Amino acid sequence: MNDTLKITRASQWNQSDILFCIARPSGSDRIYVGSSDFGVYEFDSSAEKPERVRLEGEQHQSYVTGLALVGETLVSCSYDGQLIWWDTAERRSIRTVAAHDRWIRRVIATPDQTQIISVADDMQCKVWDGVSGELISLFTDHAETTPHHYPSMLYAVAASPDGRWLATGDKVGHVAIWDAGTFEKVGELETPVMYTWDPKQRRHSIGGIRSLAFSADGSQLAVGGIGKIGNIDHLGGPSRLEVFEWSSGTRRFEIEDDKKKGLIEQIVWHPSGDWLLCAGGDHKGFLNICDMQSGELIAQEAGDGHIHGLVVDAELQNVFTAGHNRIERWTLGTS
Amino acid sequence: MKRKAWCGSAEHPVSRRGFLGAAAAGTAFAADMTVLDGLKQQALAAELKRQQKRVILLWLAGGASQLETWDPKPGAETGGPFRAIQTTVPGLEISELLPKQSQRMRQTAVIRSLNTKIADHGGGYRLMETGRLPEPGVAFPHLGAIIARELGRIDSHVPDHVSMYTSTEGRRKGTAGFLGARYNPMFLTENMMPENIRRLESISQVDHQDRAALRDFFAEKFSRSVDSAAVASHGSAYERVRGLMASDRLFDISEEPQAMREKYGPTQFGEQCLIARRLVEAGVPFVKVARAWWDSHGQNFETHRELCADLDHCMSALMDDLGDRGLLENTLVITLGEFGRTPRINGSLGRDHFASAWSCSLTGCGIKGGAVYGKTDEKGATVVDGEIGAADLFATIFTALGIDYEKEYMLGSRPIPISDFGSSPVEDVLA
Repeated sequence: MNDTLKITRASQWNQSDILFCIARPSGSDRIYVGSSDFGVYEFDSSAEKPERVRLEGEQHQSYVTGLALVGETLVSCSYDGQLIWWDTAERRSIRTVAAHDRWIRRVIATPDQTQIISVADDMQCKVWDGVSGELISLFTDHAETTPHHYPSMLYAVAASPDGRWLATGDKVGHVAIWDAGTFEKVGELETPVMYTWDPKQRRHSIGGIRSLAFSADGSQLAVGGIGKIGNIDHLGGPSRLEVFEWSSGTRRFEIEDDKKKGLIEQIVWHPSGDWLLCAGGDHKGFLNICDMQSGELIAQEAGDGHIHGLVVDAELQNVFTAGHNRIERWTLGTS
Repeated sequence: MKRKAWCGSAEHPVSRRGFLGAAAAGTAFAADMTVLDGLKQQALAAELKRQQKRVILLWLAGGASQLETWDPKPGAETGGPFRAIQTTVPGLEISELLPKQSQRMRQTAVIRSLNTKIADHGGGYRLMETGRLPEPGVAFPHLGAIIARELGRIDSHVPDHVSMYTSTEGRRKGTAGFLGARYNPMFLTENMMPENIRRLESISQVDHQDRAALRDFFAEKFSRSVDSAAVASHGSAYERVRGLMASDRLFDISEEPQAMREKYGPTQFGEQCLIARRLVEAGVPFVKVARAWWDSHGQNFETHRELCADLDHCMSALMDDLGDRGLLENTLVITLGEFGRTPRINGSLGRDHFASAWSCSLTGCGIKGGAVYGKTDEKGATVVDGEIGAADLFATIFTALGIDYEKEYMLGSRPIPISDFGSSPVEDVLA
């Protein structure tokens, strides 16, 4: 492991709840987090002792699991199956949409910020008008049940930076790639190691694809999750990253890390494509930087708690993470 | 909430009369370790056995979360992401992970106030399988063995204690303890068909019958010349073995119509529940179906989404099937594990072991459907009303089945009540 890049914890703000997602307007000190107390909060990261403010109006009825920004509008998703649009200037909800029949796992905005895309345990990917909240399309390539006849889950969705492609990833390790204009499926990948089914000792499953990210040019797709778990009572398996040239289905790298175990919850590519940053954890957290030339882990830092979401500033200097009982700020630099 | 300290079942007065009558007649009883029990056994159990009551224990091995099943706390800091849903019983809500059960709660009672204190798998298992703390030198019988002893028939041609546990984690066989090997479980581990139960292929059916006839001939001749309990017991054992060999078809679900198999579904738990129904229908008094493994230290919510779907579907199919066949009023379905799970959600989105305030359910025979007993605080951390322990649960189960929960077995000269000293049944959940 070379030491060109370094991750350093700069600030830590302890919280009493579990924070599942984070969003940040470009160039702003404000960040937004979604909480296990069903609330969406604004947080001023520049304050010496920041106090978070709950956004008002109609609220979610369960864990808030995803956030996406469309200009000054924030869209949140929840286990309650609803999407809520929030006016960040007014700090109030402006629209609630009953979006899915089951729990929504992730919501993103398209790069041009015109559309919102959600994935949920009804195994549907849905595309929404970012402003009006109207449903534009819905599609799926994901089975409702696992090969062992239990409910599957659709955890991850990503859009390519150029806006041409979408990708969705599920519990059993299936990835579908879609044309973002026509919503036709254009490719698929399999990452079966992400899914651990224990047929003998415990007879249930764990794992799944928890994160997806396209490279800047859209040609590569990084898939994050966890490797094979021995004792599936815990998240005691290696964090696992697979990187594909998705159009050909070629797997470029498989990177497993046993030192900092658990799920890779979020992935961010460097615009150059040289490296990517991923975050997640088991009961503790981690931030990893992987070199995309060598396929090696080149920098790593441990978090005190599981990291569920991260956001990076435009300069790629500051990383804000949301996780179990804490918000943290990290800096990226060279040593 | 009231709990009664005596058996108020309709059978009890009759049984007491039977008992007193039998005692007054100076009936002679077999001189075994349960001689006092025998006094009651002759008078009481005959009546119970006629009623053909049975038990299916759905054992949630590893410890299911009460918060994701029977005692949801939506909106609480400890409540997790799932909603509570209204059931068919006004005012009774359970987790949204059990939607099919929510439509069947008129047949089910929920106890939300178990405080059993022991939160390790082995200790919790021993407690919840025997209803009491272990004591050195005493091998207490498990629930299934007691039920087999109380409700089984000596002349039964089917097994009277069957335990299915095919996952290896937490697999525990169960024991009849001091009741003796007669009541040990037929334990199915590697597959769902008992091993060595079928006639050897090298012996033809004709040979098999001829051998049995020859054995009967000599046995009868011998027993006429030797008046011995041991000889009678030997003959009884042979009869039983032949009966068990003939019962292998009960484990063969291919004999069920496809539509029935589809109702239970393709999962192992579903197929085992279907076997359990076939067994109780044939007269097996106790069947345990262990479903592993609920020990969700990490990703508790994903684990329960998966396992609760299995439990919800299979338990509902079983209840419907038992009901359709008129078996539910004589079959008690117990859903229980060794403990529950912590209200605190740990850093892996898991819940850990927790025995201070957890839940179980009772359905069918002798149970007041739709009843809810006990209450936990708003976070689910403590019992605030109706606290009971394992012994009280056992007393409740026995009473629901019409078994005198104060009945005693004699271990040498020591009386051992079938539910532990000081226990009493939960009247509120009894029909």
